[in-house]
Amino acid sequence: MRPLDENETVAVFNKLHKFVGNNLKNIVLESQAHEGPETNPGRYCFRMQKNRVYYVSESLVKRATNVKRDKLVSLGTQIGKFTKSGKFHLTVQCLNLLAANAKHKVWLKPTSETKFLYGHSLKKDGVGRITEGIQVNNGVVVFSMSDVPLGFGDAAKSTVDYRKMDPNGIVVHHHADIGEYLRMEDDL
Amino acid sequence: MAISFLLGFGVYAVSPPPPTSALQHPPSPLSLSHTNRVTEMEEAQYEIDLGNLTAFDQHHQFASPPTSREEIVKETIEQATKLVQAVADALFNLPSTEDPDGPLVKLPPPTAKFPREKPLPKPRPPTQWEVFAQQKGIQKRKKEKMAYDEQTGTWKRLHGYDRVNDDNDIPIIDAKATDEPGTDPFAERRKEKKSRVDKQEGNRLKNLKNAQKAGALPSHIQLAATALPITGTQSQPKKVSKDVLQNVAGMAATATASGGKFDKKLPGEKPLKHEKKYRKYLPAVEGSGMGTIEKQQTENVLNRLMSKHSHQILNVEKAVNMYNVKREKHQRRQGGQSSNSGKFKANKKSFKKTSNKGHSSSSKGKSK
Repeated sequence: MRPLDENETVAVFNKLHKFVGNNLKNIVLESQAHEGPETNPGRYCFRMQKNRVYYVSESLVKRATNVKRDKLVSLGTQIGKFTKSGKFHLTVQCLNLLAANAKHKVWLKPTSETKFLYGHSLKKDGVGRITEGIQVNNGVVVFSMSDVPLGFGDAAKSTVDYRKMDPNGIVVHHHADIGEYLRMEDDL
Repeated sequence: MAISFLLGFGVYAVSPPPPTSALQHPPSPLSLSHTNRVTEMEEAQYEIDLGNLTAFDQHHQFASPPTSREEIVKETIEQATKLVQAVADALFNLPSTEDPDGPLVKLPPPTAKFPREKPLPKPRPPTQWEVFAQQKGIQKRKKEKMAYDEQTGTWKRLHGYDRVNDDNDIPIIDAKATDEPGTDPFAERRKEKKSRVDKQEGNRLKNLKNAQKAGALPSHIQLAATALPITGTQSQPKKVSKDVLQNVAGMAATATASGGKFDKKLPGEKPLKHEKKYRKYLPAVEGSGMGTIEKQQTENVLNRLMSKHSHQILNVEKAVNMYNVKREKHQRRQGGQSSNSGKFKANKKSFKKTSNKGHSSSSKGKSK
């Protein structure tokens, strides 16, 4: 377990900024953690273990140092992985964090929920609601109509273009969904 | 000019005699000034070295300087046949033994003297003892083989197994007045002997060094001493330079299982420098969680990111929209309070926010 160095921090924050925008401040600086025995709430910090980045509270980090480095599997919430070539990808486990701070949201119709959960990209006729002001390649969090976060992805079209699109066009490129907990249990 | 002719035969066996026609009749000499008798005498004076199967003619002279190559060749062949005949005669005169292949003759040892192959050995400088003996006038005395051993009362040899005056055989040593109580006299004797042996070894090496300086090392030691050059022309190897030594020392220092990291250093030895870069990470936990450096780092990155996207923070169109709506509301309220003209009552229809951004909504508010 080690903290991220500067380049890695930049990569992680950039990726997160795509999804949460200025709420990144909330995640990084103003988060309150009431986990430890200390009365004052600590902050959350990012730690890297075996190329996976975790979002952990300070008290948890302190206690995790008691575990041997090669025996430590995971701590806190995993938000993503670094690939062998140094690129950072967000994984599905950070969905709750993203959903709470998301800037751009898309609501799915119940009929196309299963399709998305199988890993397919989102088509226009599956979309129920969409927030304003989405630009291309913005990060988007996908919800069901009952406001259950289902996953996240990349916006393929801006909101303006979305209205003009034909019903079969892709609106959101799939990145991660909660169906992965069943489909790719081993890879997570 | 002396002519010699070497036969290429084996040393002990004699091949069948050379073709008879050329040799049985010695050819007449070319030079007419010599009489037959003189030539016979000269023939008798050929130096024949049977050990090398050679014959030397010391007194041969060309009567007149030869004019052409063929003359020289002819003369040489004639003289050579004479010499070969002489060798053959001498061979046949030796006592021979019978053999199925023919008469077998044992050749005598060769008499020809060859020049030295190696240079003369240099005289050895006298050893320390020799110098001392010369000074004092000590003569060398022949040693006896056996000596009488007082202890056992027998004659024993001087050195080696079961020798006279062996240290291990002394049962009792009388204590002298000078002896301290508690010292072991046997151990003392052993120590003294050891020191004598070591001293002698040192002297031996010193003598050898002196001999080597004079160039007169005995050959078996010269061969064994790998650091010294063997041939006379080769010089001593040059001393290694400082940087070469440093390189080698560095290699030797790191040639351990852990790269020389935990070895004790000699006084004045510099610490090892490693070629690769060691990557330094921030500590995992500092204080109660995040260290100050880490906090600063994250804040820096965050601020940079925020400033890069600062132009996106404010959604200008949305702000304008909201501002206009606020203004509308304000005007409507004011208008409702001040007068109840029906003019503004129709405005109640247009409270809904339109999707038409960018247009001033004031115009809409006024439409009926």
